[in-house]
Amino acid sequence: MIRLVAWRVAGAVPLVLGVVSLVFFLLHLAPGDPASLYAGPGVSPEALAQIRSNMGLDDPLHVRYGKWLAALVQGDLGVSTGRGEPVLGLLRSTLPATLLLSGASLVLAFALGVGVGVMQAVRKGGVLDAVLGGVSLFFYAMPSFWLAVMLLLLFSLQARLWGWPVVLPASGMVSVNHDFLGPWAQVHDRLRHLVLPMLSLALVLAGGVARYVRGSMVEVLREDYIRAARARGIPEWRVVLLHALPNALLPIITLAGLHLPLLLGGAVFVETVFAWPGMGKLLVDGILMRDYPVVLAGSLAFALMVVAGNLAADLLYQVADPRVRQGSST
Amino acid sequence: MFHRLGTRGGGWWRRWMRAASLSALLAGCSTDQDGAQATSEGFGDFCANALAAVEAHLGSQLPQAPGPEYGGTGVVGAIGEMVDGMNALVSGEYAANQHQRFVNLMTLVRPDEALRPTPYLARDWDFSPEGDELTFHLREDVLWHDGTPTTAHDVAFTFLRATDPATGFPNSGYWAHYVPGSEGVEVLDDFTVRFRLTPHAEPLDPWGSMAILPSHLLGDVSPERLREHPFGNVCPVGNGPFRFVEHRTNDRWVFQANPHFPEALGGRPRLDRLVYRVIPEMTTLLTDLLTGGVDVYVGVGPDQLGTIRGSQDARVVTFPFRTYLFVGWNTRDPRLADARVRRAMTLAADREGMVEALLGGYGQVANAGVPPFHWAYNPAMEEALPHDPEEARRLLDEAGWVDRDGDGIRENADGLRLSFVVEYNQGEQVRESVAGVLQDQLRPVGIELLPRVVEWAALVGRITSPERTGVEGFVLGWVPDLRVDDRDLFHSEREAEAFGFAGLQDPRVDALLDTLQLIPSREEARPLWFQYQELLAELQPFTYLFFRDRLVGMHRRIRDVEMDVRGEWVGVTRWWIPTQERR
Repeated sequence: MIRLVAWRVAGAVPLVLGVVSLVFFLLHLAPGDPASLYAGPGVSPEALAQIRSNMGLDDPLHVRYGKWLAALVQGDLGVSTGRGEPVLGLLRSTLPATLLLSGASLVLAFALGVGVGVMQAVRKGGVLDAVLGGVSLFFYAMPSFWLAVMLLLLFSLQARLWGWPVVLPASGMVSVNHDFLGPWAQVHDRLRHLVLPMLSLALVLAGGVARYVRGSMVEVLREDYIRAARARGIPEWRVVLLHALPNALLPIITLAGLHLPLLLGGAVFVETVFAWPGMGKLLVDGILMRDYPVVLAGSLAFALMVVAGNLAADLLYQVADPRVRQGSST
Repeated sequence: MFHRLGTRGGGWWRRWMRAASLSALLAGCSTDQDGAQATSEGFGDFCANALAAVEAHLGSQLPQAPGPEYGGTGVVGAIGEMVDGMNALVSGEYAANQHQRFVNLMTLVRPDEALRPTPYLARDWDFSPEGDELTFHLREDVLWHDGTPTTAHDVAFTFLRATDPATGFPNSGYWAHYVPGSEGVEVLDDFTVRFRLTPHAEPLDPWGSMAILPSHLLGDVSPERLREHPFGNVCPVGNGPFRFVEHRTNDRWVFQANPHFPEALGGRPRLDRLVYRVIPEMTTLLTDLLTGGVDVYVGVGPDQLGTIRGSQDARVVTFPFRTYLFVGWNTRDPRLADARVRRAMTLAADREGMVEALLGGYGQVANAGVPPFHWAYNPAMEEALPHDPEEARRLLDEAGWVDRDGDGIRENADGLRLSFVVEYNQGEQVRESVAGVLQDQLRPVGIELLPRVVEWAALVGRITSPERTGVEGFVLGWVPDLRVDDRDLFHSEREAEAFGFAGLQDPRVDALLDTLQLIPSREEARPLWFQYQELLAELQPFTYLFFRDRLVGMHRRIRDVEMDVRGEWVGVTRWWIPTQERR
């Protein structure tokens, strides 16, 4: 297992470096100049040149790449040209929000998706299967940002207008008076703010997961060992949950790893709709402002998360499936 | 976490751990204090010391409320983050500038409703008889939020840094007629400072826009590093009516009432706290306004006015502003070199109709960059370029552009077609609509307009590059200073520079632009300003479209909010919320 992890981590280094290097060159090839975006009217050519110099933009591209790479190796992600802040600090203040949103959404999506998928498989061909299949397809086909706007209008705006007992906050990660609340009230406040963005991401993902789980469970439920378990008189719920489900979940583990990039991509839009102060919004602003250090650091962080997600999926697969574990040790 | 790992190890291991710091980031949430430490990197304990000094002086609790109208938290929501922060030396952005001027810092003078300078940090000022020296006498009761007095040394420091090319001050045009550097400023005593300048129009205007910064905190910072200094975004220490409390990136800025703000300037603000929230989606902003999440929504879209008006909880405040929209024409292009062609396009455009249809009537047709509320505005220009397609056709015929092949588009004798690409940036609904409307309105007079959407940074890159390759026309917005100065746009000497989009070469324009900036008297300058606007109407380097009013949504709970051309935050110290309606 350790050798596998070491091997995969070693393989990820050139991969991640390749990704961010590609982003570096594509970004610099794109038209646009952060100095021009920052400078106001009336700026003299000399001042503009100085701004470019202060932003480190006056070196040839290959020199800039070399400097960026050397700094990266030393853990220096540079200073944001758009905000004038060290990029590491910006990541530290925004990445936790993205991880919280993505992580919570991933957990909810798989919990919902697995539950719905199992119910559909157990009631295969019935009314419940058809209804849940329709609902999951409905959400699966829906873009996250559109769902986000609909949820926002329904559970925040209309809920207030219609006098619903629970009105969810429309934006942000915490209330403006969060600091003045007690500890439990603070937790409650965070959860209330998390609900809508989390649902926006999770429902779409859950729709897909449910379809996979249903298919996988239907196949597993046809296996001989399931028939044998039933023949032995084991209660049906035990057969489904303890015998069939663990085996049906194996492909879902891989699915979780593969869905991480989709989740992060969706988070960019959802963060914008709900003013969630995460890294997605930072990255979008960085692209719009041609803030090279921020975009590169954001790409690096996303690449690392995707690699880590896939690695985690592989490791989980090893843990969950004795056949794979056995194969890797021989 | 990053710092602790970094200081423990050494050599290759330390470097490896630093390289691995990104993964350390994944390990957990950082507190705001952690964030402040991280972003102070390279500047020692600056933030910790600065904020501790502020707390020692002002305390950490909310200030006492002297009356029932004092207290509560006012929340302003807006689409954009104040990325430039509170460091006025490296800031060119509107919302940040508003907070520097009216919230956290102070300017020397403050324009009144008629845009005349009135005392603020400076209690008065005088000019030498020749008009080449300007002396400010400062108030002696203004303290930085850490308790240090604000003095003439701070003013001199701010000026020296702003005129130092190494700073890269984005509004260096402010000081075009001031003697730069130490030759241009002299501290006479702790509260008196003198500047040397060439007599010119509106010499006090920069001092109404440029906030003064603390020399005792920033004096040791090299100009090149000012932009990355944490003062701007992590721990600003101001001297204005609100002290800085917290900044969460892409989320919020929190300010708290300064109990020691001089009574003569209005004293302690009525709100305990003022929060600026970044909400990048307009639907969300509207929802927040209607559900009470924000009290003030800056930048309401015209399409949202009906919803706000239909609500019992909110209202709309509008005021004229200086932002205008225009179509810039690249006069270097042979088809656009003839002013008659450009004039014809303006005449063919129904700009009144655009104001009604696209802005819901909240705007005014523009004929130059001088806004209608400005003293230099020429009202006669309102009749100069009416919607007149017939006149447009006549001008095009006169210029030799006729439809020679019967396809509805005019050509000249050389076979060049009157067909232009007009670029606009992605995500701007009004600009996209303008491009579409213009396409429809120009076609009947024989001009083909081909709208093309371009990403914002790419558009700016294209139109500000000296070559301007392939640029024909573009829809853009512009926010002139209160002191209008079009030299960057139209002076032939600036043609190759970033904002010389139009490439205009006209000695009459040059002469007027040079002269206008040097006439201190408004009365003497006004006829020349009128002349300049008439000349622009003739030359039409831009098709000026309209000035957009500012639309602000206001929750019913917030009271005494007054806004005008000076900006949304101009009266922020008087805003208040009744006790029973506070959060």
